[in-house]
Amino acid sequence: MKKLLEVKNLRTHFSVESGEFRAVDGVSFSLDAGRTLGIVGESGCGKSVSALSIMGLVPQPPGRIAGGEILFEGRDLLKFGAAQLRALRGNRISMIFQEPMSSLNPAFTVGEQIAEVLLQHKRFSKKKAKDRAIEMLRRVRIPSPELRYDDYPHRLSGGMRQRAMIAMALACEPTLLIADEPTTALDVTIQAQVLELMRGLREETGTAIVLITHDLGVIAELADDVAVMYAGRIVEHASVERLFAEPQHPYTIGLLGSIPRLHLEQERLAAIEGQVPGPFAGGAGCRFQPRCPFSIEKCQVEDPSLLRLHDGHEAACWKAPL
Amino acid sequence: MKKELLEVKGLVKHFGPVRAVDGISFEVAAGETLALVGESGCGKSTVGRLALRLLEPTAGKVWFEGEDLSTLGNEALRARRRSMQIIFQDPYGSLNPRMTVGQMLQEPLLLHGLHMNRTEQRVKELLALVGLAPEHAQRYAHEFSGGQRQRIGIARAIAVEPKLIICDEPVSALDVSIQAQVINLLRDLQRRLGLAYIFIAHDLAVVRHIATRVAVMYLGRIAEIAGKTELFERPRHPYTQALLSAIPVPEPGLSRKRILLEGDVPSPVNPPSGCRFRTRCPHAQARCASEEPGLEDGVACHFWREIPAPAENAVLIAVNERLTRLQAAFRP
Repeated sequence: MKKLLEVKNLRTHFSVESGEFRAVDGVSFSLDAGRTLGIVGESGCGKSVSALSIMGLVPQPPGRIAGGEILFEGRDLLKFGAAQLRALRGNRISMIFQEPMSSLNPAFTVGEQIAEVLLQHKRFSKKKAKDRAIEMLRRVRIPSPELRYDDYPHRLSGGMRQRAMIAMALACEPTLLIADEPTTALDVTIQAQVLELMRGLREETGTAIVLITHDLGVIAELADDVAVMYAGRIVEHASVERLFAEPQHPYTIGLLGSIPRLHLEQERLAAIEGQVPGPFAGGAGCRFQPRCPFSIEKCQVEDPSLLRLHDGHEAACWKAPL
Repeated sequence: MKKELLEVKGLVKHFGPVRAVDGISFEVAAGETLALVGESGCGKSTVGRLALRLLEPTAGKVWFEGEDLSTLGNEALRARRRSMQIIFQDPYGSLNPRMTVGQMLQEPLLLHGLHMNRTEQRVKELLALVGLAPEHAQRYAHEFSGGQRQRIGIARAIAVEPKLIICDEPVSALDVSIQAQVINLLRDLQRRLGLAYIFIAHDLAVVRHIATRVAVMYLGRIAEIAGKTELFERPRHPYTQALLSAIPVPEPGLSRKRILLEGDVPSPVNPPSGCRFRTRCPHAQARCASEEPGLEDGVACHFWREIPAPAENAVLIAVNERLTRLQAAFRP
């Protein structure tokens, strides 16, 4: 079966004053149609830059794609020209962000912006585009969509803006949706509404999703498979059930121990000591080694690559399986 | 009567037409943690500032160790604040960029005349208490990571040996692994120093981990206040029930019955008549629009006795033995 998306050894670097920062440093993953892959990690691990790289939205300079391939339906997006990418974005591949105002234009009404996507990509008539935009607003459960069509984004609450952005992203029924921290800025009751909405729309449309988040709760609710990123690399990759039940990479194990649980009385959290390495922390060994309680000598000198432990379960650790 | 450390009664704060806090009462006992939780705009941060009289209330009173703070002049209030400190979400905003950490930690000691002959020694003790090294005293705030800055903020708060610290979203800007370090630190310090906390947060899992009692706020009022276990296992107010059921939990496959609230929180400029939660409440009846429920038995709801508590909140999660054993390796 042909993969919908295949990212192979992606490397995205940024030149900054003190050198070249390898934000994404050899990342590979793939996604089948209709599936949801969660990418989880802490600030600076490269999860958002991976998403921007797929969308061709890395600002260049200071950024550049230093290597790799991004195959969408078998074609390498890195070889696409600007016009080809524009035809794809918002149409076959869409993206939603943490902050909806980064995709909504304050100078146009919400409805006009959704209709515009349809005029551009689907060559709908104006009347048909408007009807379809109202239909999309209704599908994301914005009340009185006919009236809201004429509202400017600032007139909507945070949760409604997030819905409007989702309506715009899904207007052309993309085969791939990239969602970067889609509920992080929302209050918990609104977050629950938006997660429910994403689940429903995914069932209706069969859209595949790359879900980027730091929240393991959101991952558990929405993802089929999970990639855990640390310092520019994927350190573990598994189905969502296996990742939570039998994590193999020490970072994943520590991360799961760091989160306070709603349904569990815990004495002390298993905090990971130390900090995420800075962008230029070098060294030949494993990047997690300085914080890892399981490390052995080999970890300081040789960087482990992803090793298959089980069907669909890989971890980059010399000590795995633990 | 048990002697309370802090008592707040009928606290009201209006900013122009915005009714940020609209009648709040609670007590905090020495050594306990009262968590104030709620979504954006519920007034929880404003309550924290009112409790320290960093803001003047529109109405209501605050007593600290039995003393009415509103009767204190500037000088007396400053002396009182030695016992009541605050730490913020963004410690960077409260750290002076031109001072070294050592200078920042000495400042409150000088101000309150504490450890005068041994301030440098005291700075070292404080750094050790929050898990920083003595040489960090020479450095400036910008040289530290977010988690370390929060440790500096905590060191400065405990420098004057307070009895109460208001923690205003102290871990919400931090990454998960760093957040756990700071939560563990706050718990350790509480035990060692006998501190009381008012812990203001929106993350209920963090609150379950750190609180003794929890007050759930909605639109400037307390919807429910109860002991931690009671609140998490038997939530009585419909808002608490919805809030708990809305949180995504890191347990794939755990099927929970979700109470989905419709719509958004109404504006605090023009809150609904009667019960403020009624516009989103799945159990609202005619009486809820006409009559505002008072806080009785810790619940502000006319009908809580008739609403069954969702059973799933008591769900026990099987402990993963292998994972627990491996995670123990991360404990120092």
